[in-house]
Amino acid sequence: MLVGIPLDNQQRRSVQPKDCADEMAHHLKQVAENRCKAAFSQVFGYFAPRLRSFALKQTGNEALAMELVQDTLSNVWQKAHLFNAEKGSPSTWIFTIARNIRYDMLRKQQNRKEDICADDLWPVLCEQTADPNEVEMDEQITLDQLGTLFEALPEKQKVVIEAIYIEGKSQQEVADQLDIPLGTVKSRTRLALQRLKEMLNDHD
Amino acid sequence: MINLHPTAQQLMTYVDGSMEPMMALVVACHVDMCAHCRAKVEQLQLTISDNAFALESQDNVSFGDMMASIMALPAAEPRVRPASPPTLELDGRSFVLPRPLRRFVDKTGNWSHLLGNLWQAPVDIGGGGKAQFIFMEKGGRVPEHTHRGNETTLVIDGEFSDGLGHYDSGDFIHMDGHHVHTPRSDADEGCLVFSVVDKPLHFTSGIARLLNPFSQLFF
Ligand SMILES: [Zn+2]
Repeated sequence: MLVGIPLDNQQRRSVQPKDCADEMAHHLKQVAENRCKAAFSQVFGYFAPRLRSFALKQTGNEALAMELVQDTLSNVWQKAHLFNAEKGSPSTWIFTIARNIRYDMLRKQQNRKEDICADDLWPVLCEQTADPNEVEMDEQITLDQLGTLFEALPEKQKVVIEAIYIEGKSQQEVADQLDIPLGTVKSRTRLALQRLKEMLNDHD
Repeated sequence: MINLHPTAQQLMTYVDGSMEPMMALVVACHVDMCAHCRAKVEQLQLTISDNAFALESQDNVSFGDMMASIMALPAAEPRVRPASPPTLELDGRSFVLPRPLRRFVDKTGNWSHLLGNLWQAPVDIGGGGKAQFIFMEKGGRVPEHTHRGNETTLVIDGEFSDGLGHYDSGDFIHMDGHHVHTPRSDADEGCLVFSVVDKPLHFTSGIARLLNPFSQLFF
């Protein structure tokens, strides 16, 4: 026995989830029916360190791991009535809660800082209805119309756009081919896209 | 009828928590619609959860006052089942969504009418890519494209084809840079799909390539 670690803890460590499933299911029932704190502390004592190990492996970050432990066990405390012993063991139930919270956490973390959809280029390709139920059928742009608008571009811009976006060349390749400076290719591209956007905006 | 399911490997990574989280949401929706995969997932969860929690923590961690602060929280309100689940509305039609998507109805932006008889509504699910509902009206089509990254699609209601296959409600479709396709729906009722992409599409044919400068805006 290691000094400083209570015997109770030592014994608990070696108990496998499936060996204490009935006991933990009973505790969860007590929490659900009576908000029993003693029962919850048993659940917490067993699962918190295990959740932490799992979370640490997944996140590699102590603070995130502790957050996952806290969120998961808060769910267990608050939603113990949703546990159904006939559908699975406490460890499976708690594991799926932790995993789903982990996926939510990851999506929040990765949420991109700038939302490109919100910028002013969005109206180029669509008409956004103010009211989801309101449909403006006439506002639709077809690929044919896009082709017509493209044909209306000034010749010099059209050549650049065609080479880059239809033939798939790089701006440098286009500059070499047309024997013009790269900066000119870039500015023609920018002007053409800007013009295309304007034409699409007032095509009706 | 559902013909296309996540692979065994994809179900495994979904269950053990190591899947890319946007794709995990699409898998969760498929599993909600597919009894076959649901049974597999439940089986996997039994094994994986016991293994995940078998680990004996060697260090003695202090959880401080975590337990006390949790027990200070009130119990969740008993779930009041709404008369009907929240639905997605478009043009007078209501679509029932797979359960994992219902909490995102509130986070769905307005529908936009795109070229080609398409409707698109962005969904803010977080994550590093883009999630959206796409509705193809009868005859609606997405221009031919390939993918700079991964495109994961779930058919929610209706049927569509893309030159590579024909898809029905519940089908799970994962595409990447190896696939070039042209989704279109010829179903009278059109087709609603939920799709996540981690990188913009790349349009591959004719005039649609002009969309590429704007392709990060949709799909
Ligand atoms: Zn399936």
